[in-house]
Formats: sequence, structure tokens, C-alpha cells
Amino acid sequence: MKAYQADIAKFEQSNTQVLGISVDSSPANKAFAEQIGVHFPLLSDFQRKVSVEYGILNEQYGFANRTTFVVDKEGIIQHIEKDAAAIDPTGAHAVCSLLEHKKQ
Amino acid sequence: MRIKSYAAAGVLVTALGLPFLAQGAPLKVGDRAPEFALPDQNGKVVKLSDFLGKKNVVLAFYVLAFTGG
Repeated sequence: MKAYQADIAKFEQSNTQVLGISVDSSPANKAFAEQIGVHFPLLSDFQRKVSVEYGILNEQYGFANRTTFVVDKEGIIQHIEKDAAAIDPTGAHAVCSLLEHKKQ
Repeated sequence: MRIKSYAAAGVLVTALGLPFLAQGAPLKVGDRAPEFALPDQNGKVVKLSDFLGKKNVVLAFYVLAFTGG
């Protein structure tokens, strides 16, 4: 999440909203956001409903696997990164930048 | 009509009888992103559709639970 915060200006330039999602409670997310200095929304999927719908809930442990989805303005998934690759926002940003240029 | 509604109920029961937390096929590029409405760290509800037609959205699912952070 820190890496996304560091790159937030780049995402904003590409007209992109970054949203973090985990299965933690809102208070836990608030503490986490303050601790690492994140200003974008960290959403609480406490009931795991969204993680299941996105097909990424680790059923053995009950938390979401680390995955990044890039969704365009029409609501269509344009890019998916999993596991270690999802920690680095470079790929996600490149896609957003492309999407923005395509539409201008 | 009655038979039809029984049939519909039967289909529903069968569907509900499937493993409850089973996940659907994983999402692929080109699929529509499922809508959601979830509270952020300040309790404000954020919906995916808030950004429809306005902004691209990066949804970063992360693991905080059990990582001690």
C-alpha cells in the first residue's frame, strides 16, 4: 500500500482512483492507514463477500490473496496482477496511463 | 403456474445447496468488475459505481490480517 501511496500523483495524473481492500475492520484499516501514511480509501471487506465475488479469497485462511485489478471507466477489468507482482504498482500504472491516452 | 413455481423453487434450493462459500470462476480481463459498496477507514461507504464514467479504478486487495501490521 505504501508503494501505491508513493505513486499516487502518477495515478491521479492518469485519472485513476486507487482503492485498497482487505478483510480487516474499518478501525484496523484506519490504524494501518495512519501508521503507513496512506490517504486513499482502504475498504473493509469484513464479510469477505467482495473477496469471494472477485474470486480471490484464500479459502484455507479466510483472507484475500494479494491481487490488483485495473478497472476502466466503463467498469471493465483491463488488467490483473497477482501475488508479488501486485505489490509493485508500476504495471497497474502503466495500464491506467495507456487507458487514459487511448481515450483522449 | 403452480408447477412452474415449484420447479423454480427446486432450482433455487439446488443452487443454495451447492457449497456456500464456493467461488465462481476467477475474473478475467474483459469481464465486468462486480459492483461493491464497502466502508473506508473513516466509515464512508465507497461504491465501485461512484467512479463509473469518471475514473479508472485500481483495486488493490491486500493482506493485512495476520501480518502483524
